[in-house]
Amino acid sequence: MKHWLKRGLTSLAVVAGVVLGVMVIGSESAHAEKTYTIGTVDTFEPFEIQDKNGTYNGKNPGIEIEMLREIAKHEGFKYNLKIMSFNATLTALEAGQIDANMGGMSVTDERKAKIDFTKSYYTDGVVMAVPEKSKITKLSQLKGKTVDVKSGTASAIYANSVKKKYGFKVKYFNTSNTMWNDVMNGNAAATFDDGPVLQYGIRNGIKLKIVTKEINSTPVAMGIKKGQNQELLNKLNDGITWLKETGRMQKIIDKYTKGDAAKSQTETDRSIWGLIKSNRDALLSGLGETLLLTVVGAALALLFGVILGVMGISNGKILSSISSVIIYIFRGMPMIVLAFFIYIGMPSVIGHKIPLFTAGILTLMLDEGAYVGATVKGGFQAVDRGQWEAARSLGLPYYRALVKVIMPQGIKIMVPSLVNQLIITLKDTSILSAIGVMELTQTGTVIIARNMEGFKMWLIIGGIYIIIITLLTWLSNYVQRKMA
Amino acid sequence: MDKKYKVQVTDLHKSYGNNEVLKGISLNVLPNEVVCMIGPSGSGKSTFLRCLNRLEEPDSGSVYVDGYDIADKRTNIDLVRQNIGMVFQHFNLFPNMTVKQNITLAPIQLKKMTKEEADEAALKYLEMVGLKDKADVNPTTLSGGQKQRVAIARALAMNPDVMLFDEPTSALDPEMVGDVLEVMQDLAKQGMTMIVVTHEMGFAKQVADRVIFFHDGVIREQGTPEEIFDHPQHPDTKSFLDKVLNA
Repeated sequence: MKHWLKRGLTSLAVVAGVVLGVMVIGSESAHAEKTYTIGTVDTFEPFEIQDKNGTYNGKNPGIEIEMLREIAKHEGFKYNLKIMSFNATLTALEAGQIDANMGGMSVTDERKAKIDFTKSYYTDGVVMAVPEKSKITKLSQLKGKTVDVKSGTASAIYANSVKKKYGFKVKYFNTSNTMWNDVMNGNAAATFDDGPVLQYGIRNGIKLKIVTKEINSTPVAMGIKKGQNQELLNKLNDGITWLKETGRMQKIIDKYTKGDAAKSQTETDRSIWGLIKSNRDALLSGLGETLLLTVVGAALALLFGVILGVMGISNGKILSSISSVIIYIFRGMPMIVLAFFIYIGMPSVIGHKIPLFTAGILTLMLDEGAYVGATVKGGFQAVDRGQWEAARSLGLPYYRALVKVIMPQGIKIMVPSLVNQLIITLKDTSILSAIGVMELTQTGTVIIARNMEGFKMWLIIGGIYIIIITLLTWLSNYVQRKMA
Repeated sequence: MDKKYKVQVTDLHKSYGNNEVLKGISLNVLPNEVVCMIGPSGSGKSTFLRCLNRLEEPDSGSVYVDGYDIADKRTNIDLVRQNIGMVFQHFNLFPNMTVKQNITLAPIQLKKMTKEEADEAALKYLEMVGLKDKADVNPTTLSGGQKQRVAIARALAMNPDVMLFDEPTSALDPEMVGDVLEVMQDLAKQGMTMIVVTHEMGFAKQVADRVIFFHDGVIREQGTPEEIFDHPQHPDTKSFLDKVLNA
């Protein structure tokens, strides 16, 4: 039993080592000099406009991106953009995952408590929009109805401040596009959103109409974690002042509100085949990320799961209890919660940011690993007790008996479940879109935010998943036939 | 501990929960002796046998095999087990290996032999049990009697000093029993120290040096086969033999 404990603890130490190793390797790139990580949002026109590959590298990336480009050039720093939901930029800023955030952010008193704002470069107001055929024109007509807002935005704050007065319910979304579609489809009576953003969307085919004047006009600015980075704040402020004084700021704003960039760069061929062709690179890179996450995640989950399984069948009470508790916790926790906990929760505790990919892999390893652990444990336990007795009575030590006699038989029993788990892992990678991992699902979200082709794009994305899973199933059937 | 005994058990107790299965068993076995243990199901004879190589942990009492204290947790049990062959009721052959690999696994893994030596030994023992031609088949294709003979060959390949048999013929079809008993009889003739839990009264009568009658967790009676089978003293022994011999 002491024997056991020692070996078990060694295995635990190995897992911990692997995890830490992944974290450290993954985080090295974060320390380069004078490169800031700026968190921003998926297409939020006219502030942020992604090109067809889902990046902001194009010619018309939106007001804030173009502004940041000019400031960086003028002030001499580099930046990496991290794309996530607006709400996630706020938490990431607080957790220290990013140095600054932007996304048409209104300056509010509430936010000032946690954020140092740059000088404002735009004034923004909340408007109400309703479906084109709706008869609603006033807030007083919203009684008992639902209003869609984006969580964490000034619109949401405004909606909450008046919802009692007008008697409506509030529903939250993470991206404008999904929210607008919800209203267009009649699931909500109205939406509150930033005026310029809504105008831009309507100009580009969103079937909503704005029925109120701008309420609550507030300045828009970038944010930096309060008191944490005076240097970056100074650079940004200096840059904004320079842009305003030289008239460049107005030029940028005009370009997106009046000029030729006011219409989004949309595909010409809107057939499914045309959409696949024009988004080929983005889809392939999303698929690549999904496959990479699946392979690395499943491999680590297998390792973690085998260790959990071996611990689980040990005679030592301590080891098997540890295994049971770990399996219980990670199987019991929704994967999305685990992903948020690791990516957004952990950094503020360990004082060190966790790179996105690492966070994704860790999530998969722990969550899928718990399921694998239960499978492995069950597989080993399903091997006849007599096999243990025969092996041990020949004088084979425990681990030798496990590896030579029990494992080969147990693995055969567990292969179908493990293959199933691999397929689930592939599908579960889509959950990581919630923390902004640019895998296939997130790629879809980004493309749709730009081209508004929700139905066709999700059909394409769904089809890609089905094809990959079919191939995987064929492969696994082949392997199982070979093993039988 | 007395060195002249191969196996020396003193006041062995074993309980499962509130159920005391062994109520103080003492037994000494001489080298080359063949001891058969008989008795009704649940009398504790299999549990006793399994205590001899610590497949079951005794609650109290001492168990010496080959001079090693089996009951002592500090004893390296893996080392002692190498010298104690065990044959199970349900054979417990490894289905993920061929017959030969079943036999060579332990000698090779425990570095008792090179692969070549182990292969040679495997064939020798397979020949002894009459199954040389089955060396490369999968054990799942064998009949029960063949499986049990392979299991005996597997145990012998470790060159043990003592062989334990736990109802080796109970799971066999009647026509298979003879082959297995024959192999065991040969083994006894070669001077192997054997402790056999069995329901085969004929075998016990013919091969055993000593027959031990277990009843309700104690040794009720022991003696030569003649003493036990022809002149049983204890009423429990008489009633048990009455039942099994006149069934």
